Parts: sequence; C-alpha cells; structure tokens
Amino acid sequence: MAVIGEVLTGPADRPRRSLRLNPAVLAPLVSPLALLAIWYWVASREIFPEQILVPPGVVLEAFRELTESGELQEHLGISLYRLTLGFLIGALSGLIFGVLLALSRQVRDYAGSLFQALRQIPTLALIPMFILFFGIGETLKVVIIVKATFFPVAVAAWDGVKGIPTQYLEVGHLYRLKRRDLWLRLVLPAAVSPLLTGIRIALGRSWLVLVAVELLAADSGIGQMMELARQMMRLDIVMVGVFVTGIIGFALDKGFRLLERLLLRGRIAEKTT
Amino acid sequence: MNFRNRALGRFLSPILALLTSLTAPLAAADEPAKLRIAVVANSTSGTPVFVGPPQRLASDQEFQQALRQRNVELEWVPVSSAAVATLTNEAFTNRRIDFAFYGDLPSVILNASGIKTRLLVPGNLGTNTYLAVPANSGARSLQDLKGKRIALHRGRPWEVSFAKLLEANGLGFNDFRIINLNPQAGAAALASGGVEGFFTLDDAYVLEERGIAKVIWSSHQAPHDWKMRAELWGSEEFINRYPELTQLLATATVRAMHWISRDENRDEYIRLQARFGLPETVIRRDADANQVTWKDYWAPLFTDSLKKHYEQVAAHAHRNKLIRKSVEAAELFASPGFVNRALQELGLEHYWNTAEAWQ
Amino acid sequence: MSGNAPRRPGEAGRLLHLKGWLVPVLLLAVWQYMAGLSQAHAHAFVPLQQVVEAARQLILSGELWLNLLGSLQRTSTGLVIGSLAGLALGILLAFSRIALTLVSPLFHSIRQVPLLGLTPLIALWMGNGEPAKIFLVSLAAFYPLVLNTYEGLRNVDPQYQELGRILGFNRLLLFRRVLLPAALPSIFTGLQQAVPFAWITALGSELLFNAGTGLGSLMMTAEVGARMDIIIVCAVTVTLLGMLMSYLVGALANRVLNRGTVKTG
Repeated sequence: MAVIGEVLTGPADRPRRSLRLNPAVLAPLVSPLALLAIWYWVASREIFPEQILVPPGVVLEAFRELTESGELQEHLGISLYRLTLGFLIGALSGLIFGVLLALSRQVRDYAGSLFQALRQIPTLALIPMFILFFGIGETLKVVIIVKATFFPVAVAAWDGVKGIPTQYLEVGHLYRLKRRDLWLRLVLPAAVSPLLTGIRIALGRSWLVLVAVELLAADSGIGQMMELARQMMRLDIVMVGVFVTGIIGFALDKGFRLLERLLLRGRIAEKTT
Repeated sequence: MNFRNRALGRFLSPILALLTSLTAPLAAADEPAKLRIAVVANSTSGTPVFVGPPQRLASDQEFQQALRQRNVELEWVPVSSAAVATLTNEAFTNRRIDFAFYGDLPSVILNASGIKTRLLVPGNLGTNTYLAVPANSGARSLQDLKGKRIALHRGRPWEVSFAKLLEANGLGFNDFRIINLNPQAGAAALASGGVEGFFTLDDAYVLEERGIAKVIWSSHQAPHDWKMRAELWGSEEFINRYPELTQLLATATVRAMHWISRDENRDEYIRLQARFGLPETVIRRDADANQVTWKDYWAPLFTDSLKKHYEQVAAHAHRNKLIRKSVEAAELFASPGFVNRALQELGLEHYWNTAEAWQ
Repeated sequence: MSGNAPRRPGEAGRLLHLKGWLVPVLLLAVWQYMAGLSQAHAHAFVPLQQVVEAARQLILSGELWLNLLGSLQRTSTGLVIGSLAGLALGILLAFSRIALTLVSPLFHSIRQVPLLGLTPLIALWMGNGEPAKIFLVSLAAFYPLVLNTYEGLRNVDPQYQELGRILGFNRLLLFRRVLLPAALPSIFTGLQQAVPFAWITALGSELLFNAGTGLGSLMMTAEVGARMDIIIVCAVTVTLLGMLMSYLVGALANRVLNRGTVKTG
C-alpha cells in the first residue's frame, strides 16, 4: 500500500530544479505568515471579543509566563515521559509479536484471531474501561499508549516480515544461517521499511490518544493544562497548548521521516513494495 | 466542470455555515426575539429534566403567556451537569445565552475574564457539599487525607467550600494532590481506588448508598457562607437593554421560588427533582439537614451575607490564581430593584423576612 | 486501526479453527474467576452474565439504539462534509501549483495538532452541541481525503495522460475520463482511512463534550455509577460498528473500482 502523506511534503521536498531559487524556499512560509498576519489584524480590530479570539500578543505573553514559571516544561515533560515509556513498551512488544506472527504458524493459530479482534477496538473506546481498571494515575496513561502503539506496530511488523520474498528466506536457509543471524541480517532489515512507517503512524496516534486521555483524567500533563485553562476561561493558555501539541506532533513526525530516510538510503533497490 | 463546481459548492457551503454560526451570536444581540436561558439538564432519556427553580419556570404558564404577548420565544439551553461551569461560561462569552441558573465561582471567573454578568435573583440559601472517601478507607477526617489524592472539579462552586474546609483545618491546596475530574469521573475514580477522597455535592450520598463510599464530612453543620450558591445570572448587556423582559423573568423566578418554599409543595418538589437522576432518599437527606426552615431556605433576597459570600469567593479565586484580576463583589450584583419589584407584584413583601434585605 | 484491506472471505473459515479459540476462552475464564473473587473485584471485573443482562436491558429500553443512532448520524454527517471538502481541496492542490505552495505548509501544520486537543477551542468558538462535534468529525475525514486525492491524481500513469492528449481530450474531459477514474483507487483508500478515523473522532468528541446522545455519552454516564457492564457493552458496540463500517466501505470500494476499471480499460 502506498505510503500516504509522503507525497504532499511541500515544494521544498520535491525534486525540482527551482529548489535553489529563493522564492521556492520562502514559499512554504507564505501561508503561515499570512495567517498570522490576518490573525493579528482581526484581533486588533476587535471584530471578535478578546475572550473568543485571543490576540497573538496575549498568547505569546501566556507562553512567556508559562515557560518562566516552568509550568509548561513541567507539563510537557510529563506528557513526553508518558509517551516515551508507553511507546517503547508498546513498540518493542508489538515488534516482537508481529514478527512472531509472521514467522510462527503456532503463534498465528493460537493468537491470530484474538489479535485481529482486539485490534479492532478503538483505543478511545477503552478509556472509560481502563479508568475503572487502572484508576487515573500514570499506569492508565502508559497502558493506553501501549495499546495504541502495540497493534499498529505489530501489524506493520507482520506485514513487513510477511512481505519478505521467500527466496530470501530460502537463501538464508541454504547458507544455514543461525537463527540470530537470520533475524538480524535478513528479516529485520527487509522489514524495516513498512515497519518504520507503521511506527511513525503509531507514534502520531499515540500522541493524539495521550492528549485525549489527559484532557479527560489527569492531574498533570499538557492535556490537563489545556483543560484546566479552559475551565478558568484562559483561552490564551489553551492556545499555547494547541501550538505546543502541534509542534510536538510535527517534530515527532518529521523526526521519524528523517530516520526512515536515513535508514533506507541504501535500501531503495531492495524495497519489496 | 459539473463535478468541480458541485464539489466546490459543497466545499464552500459548510464553510459558510460555519462562518454564519460564528457570526450569528454577534447579530442576535440586536433583537430580543429569544430569551435564552442556560439550565443544568439531563437528557439521556430523551426529554430534558431541569434542576431546581427552572423546573417550575418551564411549566409557568403565566410567564410563557407574557412572553408570547411580546413575541419573545423562550429557549432553554441545556448544559450537562458534568461541566456546567465551563459550558455556561463559554455560552455567555459566545453570546449564546442571556441568562443562566448556575453557581458562584464560575460567575466570578467569567467576570474576571472580562465578560460581564450580573446576579439578578439570588438562589437558595446554600447547597451542601460533601467529602467522601472509599467505603473501606480508614480516613476519618480531612487531616487523614493529607498528601493523598482528592478529586475536585476545579472552577465549580463547591471549590470554595473545600477551600474553607482546608482553611479551617490549617491546610492548603498544596497539602494534597488535587485531581481535576468532573463529578462523573471523580465518582469512578473513587470507586476504583484512583483517588483517596472526593469532594462534591450530594451525589456523594449516591455513592454511599451503593456501598462504594462513605461521607466523612458535610457542610451541614458549617456556617451558611461555607456552602455553595447558585443563582440566576444575566448578561449585563441584556439586562440594561431589556429591563422589562428582565423584570418579567425576575418575577417569574421569584414566583417559582415562592411556590417551592411552601411546605405543602415540598414533597412534590423533591419528587420532581428526583427525576433528574439523584434518588429521592438522597435529596431528602440533603434537604432535611438544613438548619433553616424550608421557607427561609428559598428566600431570594440580597443581603450583606450574600455580599460577604461573594467577597470570599472572589478572594479565593484571586488567591489561588484562578483569576488574574480580582473582582469587586459589589459589582457583580444587578439592582435589587428587580427582586423587590417582583415581590411587590406578587404581593410577597412580607412573606419572607426582609429585615436585612437590600432595598 | 491501520488501513489494511478487509480480510478475504477464505479467512472466515479460520474462525472455526479451534486453536484460535483457546486463548480467548481461557482469558474469559480468568475474567469470570476474578469477578467471583470479591465484591470489590466484581466492580471492575464485572461477571459476564451481568454484561449480557446489561446489554439486554439497554437494547430493550431502546437506549442503546438511541445512542448508537446519535453516534452514527454524527459520523456520517461529518464523513460526508469532510470527505467532500477533502476531495475538493485535493483536486485543487493537484492542479494548482500556487494553491499547493500556499496551502500545503498550513495544511501540514494544522494536521499535526491532535484533533481532540482542539476541543477547548472548538467548544468556545462553536459551542457544545452538534455543530462542534460534527466539525471535529469532518476534520478527521478531511485529512486522509486530501492527501489521498492529491496523491491519486498526481500519480496517474503518464501513459494514460498521453493517451488522453492523443485522443484530443480537453482538460476537463481528461480530468473526467482519465485522471479521476485513475485516481479513484487512491481516493477510496483515503475513504477507507477516513471512516474509522471519523468514527473514533465522533466517539472522542462525545467523551469530551459531554452533551447529547451517543455511545460515548452513554459510556460517560455509565462511569458515574461505575457501571462497567454498560461500558463494556458500549465498547463492544463501538468496535462492531466500526468494523461494519470499514467492511461496507471496503465492499463499496470493490464494487466501484471493478466497474471503474472496466470503463477505462
């Protein structure tokens, strides 16, 4: 399946000769800046009350305050910590399980259907249930992220390994590669491409789910910061939260794409899709 | 060509609809075609059920008639009890409502943010608040919960009650881990052991009756200004612009509170309230605990103690950094004239003890 | 939920494969055991018969159906609006370089913000009712449609475009007869991604906006009394409906694409 979203990465990424010209490099900045300008203008005219459309200056001020008091860093740090912990656990176990599913008939027979069934359950639908099970502490958030990460990564790993042409495995067998070598030198590298994509998508989803959980039930974290701000009618803080979550999401996504590109540089020819 | 135009059209019309919905609130303020009142309601069973005086108001034929004569449509805007404060405040900010029956702290927060609302008719004399712990908990008082997690929905009226309790025990918010959960989530958290304490209204009794929790403190014995208050608030702009309509609403509300305050109607009122979701037993238990008579409980009067209550609410909000600029309690009140005229119109000047009421 | 194609019919036979049932049955047995341990446990590990009973009651009282309908309405309205808007924007971006340069950066930045994180803003700007929730759901459907429409249109085999030009098609005809049909598979991929995403977003909006009917609202109400049984029933319903919708869209895609292939082939 074609990897969605990679095409629409903007003019700067497309192989165009005009890349070196200034306009093409500046072009991506045009619309965000234009939007910013419109925002500033509309707010200064007070077309909407200040409480509804917060002027950019006020948002900036709120950002300054939050960073000075360390509140933003604290909340962000906690959210990122949860994300990292849950993600590592979920991705690692997903990876292992996915590869197992692909390689082992037994695993497929015993756990395959259950896996498929559980996979269909939307993470969000599980939140109320998990709250009752795990309370509202850190465990809840980490478990939710593990769930959100485990399945997409497992599926991606499964697909990736399944997609390895049997010739590769036969050759490996022919050369009597040891189990470990089989895995490390053959299976993993060949599965890397769809796997990385799956991980990247899982990461994006997990961030989404984490913010949702924090909005609902937490005493700390970026989502909770936004929710509390909302209750206190501090829309400026809410907007700071929106920007920050967006930037983090963007950074995570871009970071992973970079990683994909680096790891796959030598592998274009070997891609099986 | 067809496809693109149609697609473009379909692309544009939702955008236009959205734009209209954003600008509509600005336009609506030019005509009182509607009287929009926010009310705490529950509608999971289809027909909305209101809490408190609005219940009476909704079935007040005289009121409806008067409105019809002026060509004003009455619109009830239901807000879920899970987030009354936020939703009502947002609705006021957005100019989607003109009046609301809701609580003290949220109104202060709203006014501090720059949106002006005014207290038109004071509500009942203080609703009780409760501190609950899990049924098998060993905690007997607030002190036992020091350092533990307590579920408290921030920005709701009962937060001030909690603050008073803390103060009386020489404690502060920092002595606990306050978890901001709406009452539903708070109840669930208490049930599952996610928090060690839960501060809320009489829904705590529901948990107690289920055997999930026990109430270790209630505001029954506490002074009146410890309890939370809910009143009829209105947007300042509307009140100034349409004083007659405002008076109409004030009179109808006072009439409703008069009806409720009569002893013979007490049972019926409780029965009606039970439809909202809390069982009758819980409502009675809460109502029976009040120190004043049923009649005085429902006196809609502006008094000095009302002002003092709001001064404390504003002080709490400011001290705990819930609001940035502090709010003058006296500025929050609409003219008592509305209530007084209502009393006059209804012939109730001597029904309640108006010795301390403002004139 | 990743966007894999619907399972082929041959795999349905696997359902009867006994080995696959072993682990689930074991887990259920453990669950029942935990429920029987104590009252406190019965709270979270609700006995299975209680779940069944709750399901029965919800269905009989019509509450389940009412809320299910609410969620479905929200999802479908949002899907229609979002997909059409996404389709339109995708087409625009595919053909207008200026639009692409201007819109693309904005699009990508806004896309990164977790949708549900926009809740506080949207609640303030659009209120708490249907329009706000539908807006969120539309956004959820919007993104995949834009991306996949764009990609589909830009990745049309140049041979087809050449052919169209040889046949003397003007731009419009080229679009209608060649490009659009060739892009349809991609567009349907986008739709297949949009449907589960929209469904989940609808659920999320119900969880966060707490007003109105919907499976999410029902779940939140059930949380008050810690009614795990109702929560389970809702979760199962949500899952089943999600699967059903994905399946239907997949079937629709198959039908349309088969016919489409015949037409342009």
